Amino acid sequence: MKLQLDTHQVSDARFGERTALDGGVLCVNRGELQALLAADARLTDLQVELARPGESCRIVRVVDVFEPRARDPQSGPDFPGALAGNATGKRSAGDGRTAVLRGAAVVLCDPAAPGGRGGPGDFIDMSGAAAAMTPYGRCQNVVVLARPGQGVTLGQYQIALKIAGLKAAAYLARAGLAGHPDSVETFALAAGPAGLPRVAYIFQVLTNQFEPLHGDPVLYGDNIERIVPTVLHPNELFDGALVAPYDSRFMETFTIQNHPIVQELYRRDGKDLSFAGVIITNAPNNVPEYERAATIAANLARYTLHADGAVLTKIGGGAPELTMARTAQRCEELGVKTALGFLHMGIDTTDISPKPATIFNAPEIDAMVSMGAPVGLNLSLPRPERVIGDVPESGHAVRQPRQVKGAMSQIGATKLMAVRY
Amino acid sequence: MSRLRVVHYLNQFFAGLGGEDKAGTGSSVIRGATGPGRAVQMALGERGEVVATAICGDNYFAENTEKASAEVVELVRSFGPDVLIAGPAFEAGRYGVACGAVCKAVSEKLGIPAVTGMYFENPGVDLFHKDVHIIQTANSVRGMGEAVNRMVTLALKLAAHEAIGKPAVEGYFPRGIIVNEESDRTGAERVVAMLLDKLAGRAFESEVSQPRYDRVEAAPPLTDLATATIALVTDGGIVPRGNPDRIESAGATRFGRYPLAGLSELRAADYEVVHTGYDPVFIRQDPNRLVPVDVVRELEREGTIGKLHEWFYTTTGVATTVENARRMGREIAAELKAAGVSGVLLTST
Repeated sequence: MKLQLDTHQVSDARFGERTALDGGVLCVNRGELQALLAADARLTDLQVELARPGESCRIVRVVDVFEPRARDPQSGPDFPGALAGNATGKRSAGDGRTAVLRGAAVVLCDPAAPGGRGGPGDFIDMSGAAAAMTPYGRCQNVVVLARPGQGVTLGQYQIALKIAGLKAAAYLARAGLAGHPDSVETFALAAGPAGLPRVAYIFQVLTNQFEPLHGDPVLYGDNIERIVPTVLHPNELFDGALVAPYDSRFMETFTIQNHPIVQELYRRDGKDLSFAGVIITNAPNNVPEYERAATIAANLARYTLHADGAVLTKIGGGAPELTMARTAQRCEELGVKTALGFLHMGIDTTDISPKPATIFNAPEIDAMVSMGAPVGLNLSLPRPERVIGDVPESGHAVRQPRQVKGAMSQIGATKLMAVRY
Repeated sequence: MSRLRVVHYLNQFFAGLGGEDKAGTGSSVIRGATGPGRAVQMALGERGEVVATAICGDNYFAENTEKASAEVVELVRSFGPDVLIAGPAFEAGRYGVACGAVCKAVSEKLGIPAVTGMYFENPGVDLFHKDVHIIQTANSVRGMGEAVNRMVTLALKLAAHEAIGKPAVEGYFPRGIIVNEESDRTGAERVVAMLLDKLAGRAFESEVSQPRYDRVEAAPPLTDLATATIALVTDGGIVPRGNPDRIESAGATRFGRYPLAGLSELRAADYEVVHTGYDPVFIRQDPNRLVPVDVVRELEREGTIGKLHEWFYTTTGVATTVENARRMGREIAAELKAAGVSGVLLTST
C-alpha cells in the first residue's frame, strides 16, 4: 500500500463563480456546494458559510472538523463506505494519489443537538485569545450546518450531517486534484535495516461509555461499537477509511487524517524503528468485553504484527483508561513493551501524587506521557461580530478552555502536558 | 533585602516543655529560637532571624482547635513577622494537624506566607496540602536537617514573592493545582520517544504516576442473614425525578438518601440518572437493575434476610475526588451504623 499526498497550501478563501484553487486562494461556488449537500432529504436549512482567520467570528456547536482531501478517481472513492463508490469499483483507502488542501478545513456544526452535553458545546473563534489556542483558528474554514428534515430522527440527521461534511471535504479538495501541488509526500511502510524494533500503535477510536450512534460512518461507512481489535494499514487513517465518531471529545477527523502518532511513527520508520501497523479498537463498558479486547489487541500486536513495542492511547474517560491499561498489561505479559499517552479527563485535583495520576494500579505500566488535562481558567471572550451555528451570543461569553475545538487532544496533537503544583 | 522576621511554631515536645504529660499545655510565646528553631536560624543565616517561637500543647490544640488557632495568630501577630515556619511535624499526627492549621490561619489572618513540613502519611497533609505549602519530610527527626533546609528555602522564596518551582523540585506536596504547560514537543513525539528509550533500555521518566489507595479492612461477615438489616447504596447517579438534592452529574460532593418504605420496587417513572460517565439506558428502563429493591424485597419476604433498610443512598461516581468519596463514604457509613444496618449491597456501574 503506497499513498501519495499532494499538498496544496491554502492561504485565503472566498465565495465565487467557480470552485477552484488559484495561487493559494480557494474559491468556492457556494450555490453549487449547497445544492450538492442539500440533496439529502434528511437535512433542511442547509447552509455553507466561510470563516477566515482574523475575522470577528465564532463558530458554535462544532461537532467535527475535516481536512479537505480528494482522491484521484483512479485510486478509489473518497471516504469509502461513507460516501458512494465510484466507477473504479475499488473500495479501499490508503493506496494511490490524494490531494490535500492544507490550511483549509470543513467545520461541521450541529445546531439541532441539545448542545452536546449542555450549553453551546465546542466552538472555534477566528480571532482573539481562543483562536490562538487551536489550529482551526488559523484555517480557512468552510462551515456546514443544517437542521433535521421532516420526520427525521436525531440520529439519522446526525449521520446525514456528517456525510454532508465529508462530501464538502472531498468536493473542495477536488479543486486541487488537477493543479500542481506545493509539496508531495509518499507513505509506504519501509523495509528498513534489520534489527530495528518493530512498533505498533494501538488506537482506541470509540468509547462505549455512551450510547453509540448506530450506523455512524466511522470505519468504512459503519460504526465500530461491536468490533474486536482490527489491524489497519497506517495509510488508511490518512485517506478516509476512519472518521471520528460523532461528537467525539478531543479528537476530530482532521486529527485522524493527520494522526500525529502515526505521522511520528512514519517519520522514524526505517531509521529508529520499524512501523508494524495500527490496531484500532473501542473501549467497552463492561469487564468481559474489555478483557476480550485487551487480549485480542495484545495478541495481534505480538503474533500478527510481530511488534517489540506498542504505543497506546485512549478515547474518553474512565472505562477507556482501564481498557488501555489492561491492553498494555497483556502486551507486557507477551513481551511487547508499551508507552501510553493520554489526556487526563476527570483528574483528581485533591490527590497528592507528584504528577497527574492514573485511575489504575499496574507497576508494569511505567512509561506514560501526559497530553494535558481538560482544565484551566475560564476564558472571558468579547462578543464577536458574527456567530455561526444558530446560538445567539449576548455580551461577553464565558467558556472553558476544553470547549475550544482542537485545543486539546487525546492523540497527542498538542504540546500540552499536565503538571501538578 | 533586610533581614526577614521569622516566627517559628512548635509543640510542647519540640519546645522542650515535656512529652505526652505536657500535651495539654496552652499557647504561649518566647523570644528567639528554641529546639528545631536553632536549625531554622542556622539555615536562615544572615537572611533572617527567628524573632519568636509560638508554642502550644498538641492536645490543647486538638481539643480547642479554633480557640488555639486564634490565640496563636495573636501571639504571632504581636511580633510583626514576614513569614511563619511551623514544625516540621514528621509523623506526629496531632502536631501535623496543628502545624497545618496554624499556617493556614496565620496566612489568612496576617497575609504572610507560612511553611510547614510533614511525612506523607501525616493526616495534616490530607487536611492542609491545598491551603499550605507542606514540605515532604522523613518520618522521624533523623530527617530534621534536610527538612529545615527545604522549609527555609521555600519560605524565603515565598517571602520574596519569587516564582515557586514544581513540587518535586521544591519538595512540597502538590497543592491540588493542575496546570497545562507547554512541552518542547507534542505528546505524539514524546510518547514515541519514550517507547524507543524503553525498548533500547535507556533511562526515561514517566510523566504520569499511579495513585496510592487506602487499604480498607473488610468488615467481618454477617453471622445471621435472617436477622440482618440490609441497605442499598449506589454510586450510579440515580435520583428521584427532578433531582431534588441537586446531586452533581460528575465530580460529586453530595449524596442523597431516599425512602423505600412501602415500595416493592423502584418505578422507572419516578427516577432519573444524572451520572455522565456511563450509558444509563438500561437503568432508565428499570432502576431495579442498579438499586435491586425488587429482588431484595423477595429475599425479605422469603425470610432470607431480616429486612431491607427503609432508605437507599445514592451519589455519582464519575470524576469524584478521592477526598470527597472518602468523606461521603464515612458519612453514609455513620448514618447506616446509627440506624442499625448490618450489611450493605453496594452497586456500581
